[in-house]
Amino acid sequence: MGVYSIYRYNMAELHIIGQIVGASGFPESCLFCKWGVHTGAAWRLLSGLREGQTQVDLPQIGEMAYWSHPIDLHYATKGLQGWPSLHLQVWHQDSFGRSELCGYGYCHVPSSPGHHRISCATWRPLGTWQEQLVQKFIGGGHQLRKPDLIYSGADRYRLNTEAMGTVELELDIILRHFDKYGVNS
Amino acid sequence: MTDCWNTDNGEAVFRTRDMVKNLRIKVRVEKVTSTAALSQHLQHQVLSQQQDGGAIELQTLTSQGHKGDNEEELVVGWQEKLFSQYEMELFENEAACQTPLERQYHLEVKALKKARGRRNRRIFTYTDHDRYTNSLPFNQLQYSSILLNTSKSWPTFLAERMTSLRQRGQDQQKIDCGVPKAKIINWEPTEEFVRNTHVVNNVMQTMHIMADLGPPEKLGQKENECLLVTIKTDGSGTVIVKPDFNKGREPYRIVTGEKKEVWRLTVENASTVMKPEQKDREQNIYRDLYTQHMDYLNSLVGQDFEMPPVGVLRYLLNGEIVSAKGFEYDNLYIHFTIELPTNWSGSPNQSLSGVTHTCRTKPMGKEDVAFFSHLFSCEASYTCDKESEGTLLQWPVLYFKVLSLDSWQRCRTEGYGYLLFPAIPGTVSALRRFFIGGSPELEDISYVRIPGTFKGERLSRFGFCSETTGNVTFNLHCMQQARSFVDANMLRKKRQRVLNQLGGFSQQGAVSSVQEAFQRARKKMQEAQENLPKDLISSTSQLQIELSSQLKTI
Repeated sequence: MGVYSIYRYNMAELHIIGQIVGASGFPESCLFCKWGVHTGAAWRLLSGLREGQTQVDLPQIGEMAYWSHPIDLHYATKGLQGWPSLHLQVWHQDSFGRSELCGYGYCHVPSSPGHHRISCATWRPLGTWQEQLVQKFIGGGHQLRKPDLIYSGADRYRLNTEAMGTVELELDIILRHFDKYGVNS
Repeated sequence: MTDCWNTDNGEAVFRTRDMVKNLRIKVRVEKVTSTAALSQHLQHQVLSQQQDGGAIELQTLTSQGHKGDNEEELVVGWQEKLFSQYEMELFENEAACQTPLERQYHLEVKALKKARGRRNRRIFTYTDHDRYTNSLPFNQLQYSSILLNTSKSWPTFLAERMTSLRQRGQDQQKIDCGVPKAKIINWEPTEEFVRNTHVVNNVMQTMHIMADLGPPEKLGQKENECLLVTIKTDGSGTVIVKPDFNKGREPYRIVTGEKKEVWRLTVENASTVMKPEQKDREQNIYRDLYTQHMDYLNSLVGQDFEMPPVGVLRYLLNGEIVSAKGFEYDNLYIHFTIELPTNWSGSPNQSLSGVTHTCRTKPMGKEDVAFFSHLFSCEASYTCDKESEGTLLQWPVLYFKVLSLDSWQRCRTEGYGYLLFPAIPGTVSALRRFFIGGSPELEDISYVRIPGTFKGERLSRFGFCSETTGNVTFNLHCMQQARSFVDANMLRKKRQRVLNQLGGFSQQGAVSSVQEAFQRARKKMQEAQENLPKDLISSTSQLQIELSSQLKTI
């Protein structure tokens, strides 16, 4: 049982299985992360959630916040362009329940099969020095109007940012039928 | 007359997709008595004498009498309630019935008494609803000699907790695709809730098949009840039978009560088997279902994969500029360009250069680090033409320079560097040290590596002063695609298959002759490929595989 019938076509498929382990190096603890995967037009998501939000973690010991949030995606594609990439937003929830942005991070999903440990660096937009002073006291701060704008890459140079922490990810990549189309990775 | 006994009393786990209510179990208990053994022995003797052709005719000795007292065989269905003598007497009395279940039993007992009577005598069952079912493990806890060989040992704390669990389902909240819709956190758990959830508890429906093994005149004593078989199932197709079916081996041994009588127990699976036509029909339905699902998935994407033209290597680089550290000043940004050497071409609408955002550094360890996480990707194609066959393959280069921007909008160069595109596909994390060439800037950034105008044999940078500055970290994921990789993969697999088939003839000569045959076939295929017109080749690679298989048989 469970034997499939004859394949008529062989689609190229990609499995991304892993977790967002946690984040470290941020000035505040009590963090959560919103994540999403962005692909080109030729990619189709067969199963899995393409975006999500982790829980809020407040570390008792040490300074690394752990989420262990699962990522399980199955894509099929017609071409190599638009390889998936991951975008992350790290937010801080303060004691009053407000959320403020702690950093944006972007990374490509690896293209070679196997186990990958990825450290994604994050940065936060900065305003003028007056706005920075205000932010030091009452929080808040600038956010990107549309985080997807980053992917086009053209307007990025306009931004003034500061370096924040890093997000750790572990991803396992499984490719299927790519070698039938002559792809070496 | 010693029989062999089956001492393996462990439970057996079965998995099935069919419904549990189709389960039928045949149970047989048989007493091992001295008279029974003797009578059997005599019977054997007499029969063998008769077969030998002895002329004496004797009346065969059988101890008919009350044969049914010492053995019983019964087919029991799932959750089929069979009453013991004790229960028949108990439930006959209407006053003794308190719960609705007992009242129901009372009605059934009355109906049975009016009819022919029950079909079982010694063997009876406890179903999931009986209160005895839950307390049976607790009773057995006292006899913890099941596990250890000491006669006296006390059950541990965990063992007590496990047995006092209600085996029936807990109050489960509605769960929809794994995410509970009701509240996730229970802020004030009760004692019972804690007890139930701290221990692994698979909800199981249980059924016990028991036998009353007392003397035939005194049936109905609760002390003579003995557990024969326990059947447990959860909702998802797991069936646990303890002890396992005999399957033609020796029967199990039961020793009862004070008199220490020995009984033989045989357990068999008597469920009806599916007819082969039904099985075929079921397989066909499954197969159609899977094919439909595969067709649906395929229709989402389509069947053609974008391939580069023949003789072209497509190179795809997905990269990210991760961070920069160890530079003198703050507010860094990186300006990078990609240079493609001869025979390489990029797609027209992609830009080969980019600028990251400006980032203020933060101290990490001893150095100041700036984070960019700037994604870029580059797609380039390499065409190999005849004239450049002799020269070494040149890979594209990424040149970058790091600049700092201060609050007065002054821009100064912090360093230059270059990165060669990796030749082997995979993932590379590269660190690049820089150098800065004094305060004037480099006119031609390719001077960093090999200047574009360089034509000689030895590059001399004599007189060029520089100092080392910081590091920039890149992550590069590289993929290469070409039509010839398809043939290489297929040929490699075919070669492996033939070599495996050689098996015993693994002499050097045989192997090399096979390899030679492969080379010849490959050459023939390549020649045939060149002779074919162009439009035939640029269709799918299926044609090439067919060609190679045809040529191989020549």
